Amino acid sequence: MLSRNRWWSAVLLSLVAVLLVVGCGGDDDGEDGGGGAAAADQTLKWGLGSEFLLDPGLATDTTSSKILSNIFDGLVTLNEDLEAEPAAAERWEENGKVVTFHLRDGMTWTNGDPVTAKDYEFAWKRALSPELGSDYSYQLTGIQGAAEYNECESNCAALRDKVMVKATDDLTLQVTLTSVQPWFIEQAAHHVFLPVNQKAVEANPERWTRPENIVTNGAFKVEDAQPSASITLVKNPDWRDAANVTLERVEGRIIVDGTTAVQSFEAGEVDVLDEQLPPAEIPRLKDTPEYELYTGLGSTYYGFNLKNITDINQRRAMSLAVNRRQIIDTITQANELPAKGFTPEGMPGFETIVGEGSPWTPEEGDIELAKEHMAMVQGPKQKVAIVTNEGDPNKDVAVALQSMWKEIGVDSTIRVMEWQQYLEYLGPPPPGAVDLFRLGWVGDFVDDINFLELWTCESGNNNTGFCNKEYDALVAKAKQTPDDAERMEIYRQLEAMLTGEDGELPFIPMWSITYNNLERETVKETFEINLLDQVDLTKVEIKEG
Amino acid sequence: MTAFIIRRILWTIPVLLLVIFLTFVMMKQIGGNPFRRTERAVPVAIQQNLERKFNLDEPWYVQYALYVKGVFTFDFGPSLVSRDRTVNDIIKEHAPKSLELGLYAMLWAIVLGIPAGVIAALRQNSIYDYGLMFLSNVGFAVPSFLVATLLIYYVALKWGLVPTNGWTTWQTKILPSFALGLLPMAYFARLVRGSMLETLQQDYVRTARAKGLRQRRIIVRHVLRNSLIPAITAIAPLLGFIITGSFVIELIFSIPGIGRYFVTAVSSRDYSVVMGVTVLTSVVIVLANLVVDILYGVLDPRTREARS
Repeated sequence: MLSRNRWWSAVLLSLVAVLLVVGCGGDDDGEDGGGGAAAADQTLKWGLGSEFLLDPGLATDTTSSKILSNIFDGLVTLNEDLEAEPAAAERWEENGKVVTFHLRDGMTWTNGDPVTAKDYEFAWKRALSPELGSDYSYQLTGIQGAAEYNECESNCAALRDKVMVKATDDLTLQVTLTSVQPWFIEQAAHHVFLPVNQKAVEANPERWTRPENIVTNGAFKVEDAQPSASITLVKNPDWRDAANVTLERVEGRIIVDGTTAVQSFEAGEVDVLDEQLPPAEIPRLKDTPEYELYTGLGSTYYGFNLKNITDINQRRAMSLAVNRRQIIDTITQANELPAKGFTPEGMPGFETIVGEGSPWTPEEGDIELAKEHMAMVQGPKQKVAIVTNEGDPNKDVAVALQSMWKEIGVDSTIRVMEWQQYLEYLGPPPPGAVDLFRLGWVGDFVDDINFLELWTCESGNNNTGFCNKEYDALVAKAKQTPDDAERMEIYRQLEAMLTGEDGELPFIPMWSITYNNLERETVKETFEINLLDQVDLTKVEIKEG
Repeated sequence: MTAFIIRRILWTIPVLLLVIFLTFVMMKQIGGNPFRRTERAVPVAIQQNLERKFNLDEPWYVQYALYVKGVFTFDFGPSLVSRDRTVNDIIKEHAPKSLELGLYAMLWAIVLGIPAGVIAALRQNSIYDYGLMFLSNVGFAVPSFLVATLLIYYVALKWGLVPTNGWTTWQTKILPSFALGLLPMAYFARLVRGSMLETLQQDYVRTARAKGLRQRRIIVRHVLRNSLIPAITAIAPLLGFIITGSFVIELIFSIPGIGRYFVTAVSSRDYSVVMGVTVLTSVVIVLANLVVDILYGVLDPRTREARS
């Protein structure tokens, strides 16, 4: 009776088999070789690491920031040396606290409106408005009246008019700052300073960033945007400098998972993979011609709870015991730069500020010297509690530190916490149960004040309990010093008070951060990420494969 | 039957209230700050602006009441993190993609799992049986993220048959739905095999054979129909698996579905999105259970009578 059934089973089984190995479509993009002439198809396929938000006032992440600076035209842009260069503003004057930007004539929005100084005034005041609730509005509070408006609960309309950014005519924007801020021009390259089109924003306050509503004035315009999935930009032929833009089209797609992203790159689906590569993949990838390493403006450190680790010699010993090279080579693997101090590598003035570097952070550690310092400690704390947040290399780094500190007679326990809970837990002030914690700092603009200000007494980001009036006074002085050389000298003193020979060492400097990219050789030459993790797509040119 | 359905639908209201309450309590309990995403502390003034904007400065019972009101007016409010979108936008945009993924996964499970179970039962203790049950064990044991990674590596990267990720053309949908469908597939195969073997022993099957009915008719009309009941009942609990499984699959395959939001919203403390997605998921599960109960009655008249 089962004989008739044999064909039946066979058919079903083969159906199973066929469906299992089903395969169709597929793509076989040719592999690209080194660059030569410009390719006919100027399309950049760009792998993005996270969701984007196309509102300059509200965006907080680097993916959005990278897109925004290419679809909106800022007053200034940063060149390779991170100096401000004319963009929508053809020139500017700094006269003490007053900064005047002169815009170029004849620029237009994608809806045909002329771009005027009023658009910038509107955008900045919008970002400051309490109703918008912009995360980055603090970037603008160096402007007179800005903080008052940003914090207002009543009388907001009047306070809005007192914000000292004024379009004195269509092409002149006058800004009065609360103090002399030598970094203000460079800071204005941040995406929160980008203009928005008042008409477009007011027509659809909640939905103006949708591709069908958005009005932009940058080198590229938004053709399509699918939340969490993709964004397509096309060259804006009416842009002021369109003649010098080679790239015609940008097809961005969001690939959240690092491993998938690498596979997508290897399958030829994206030309540039612009996100952190998974540490485990880097050793395999870093010798390929497509691998590209950039330095980022950020520092990672292990902070001490100064209430618990009171003896400077113990802090020195614990910093000396850390073999940064080994941790970077075997655990984090992103070719981070071993820290020489708190100021990150690449910061303008780094040579002056950090110089030879802290004597307490030898790249490969110095166990003997560490032991010597440990021996000098009066009543050392021999059991310490480390806390760190979850996430790929963090726990492994803590484990490595644990074994390094064991060598100098310090036993440690590790507690791993979820990010949000971790931030809340650390204070400031930190709870007594914590002796050491992992944190980092990424700069918003290229002046070391951005980093050194972190360690003032009142700073909401100083979780160590370090508080030195002299230090605070020097920070205040630096803010009033427009001369670069003089200011760098103050920064040098500040850095020395933290990590220098006689510094208090409230934290163990670990490394400066890096960005690891994969870039097809056809774009590698022209696709560049700067220290602030920005990219200028107008410079990108796809070479013949 | 109608009374039964109405009663069941009305029951969803207290269920939802409980879901809202538990979600609310748990999200408050885990702490954190939706407006702080990096180590950078949020300036006090900005924190206050944001809390005011999103009603987080209200006492907890007002916030709770606002959530309840939101759920029953189908307006979950703005997202705290995706600042240019409302929770309704997010659900409208992303839930259909997850639904599609779940349906295709179920389709794989039904199309491959049920026939596999049938074959294994009909050829009990044969090489087919052992082979298929071995595969079913593998399907149970290997986690979907591993299957997903392996599929991408071989099928997409090495053999170049389909794209590695995305959710655009139909080619992109094959691997993720298969990876997600693997466990239900294995489950169906096992379940159908077991119940087939049992049904084959029944008197009415013997009677049908004695009457001289053709084998195919016996299997399809009499055996299969009765053997499928356990599989149908399994759909509802499997749905829970499909939903949680989709979190991982959506992440690995870059699918812009709602599952991804479930995870990211919790870790970024996007309270309104967490609430919206949790309520949505509860509604889906409650409704799926209802549908299964109805189907059950259709397939097996005895259960229908017992209820009325």
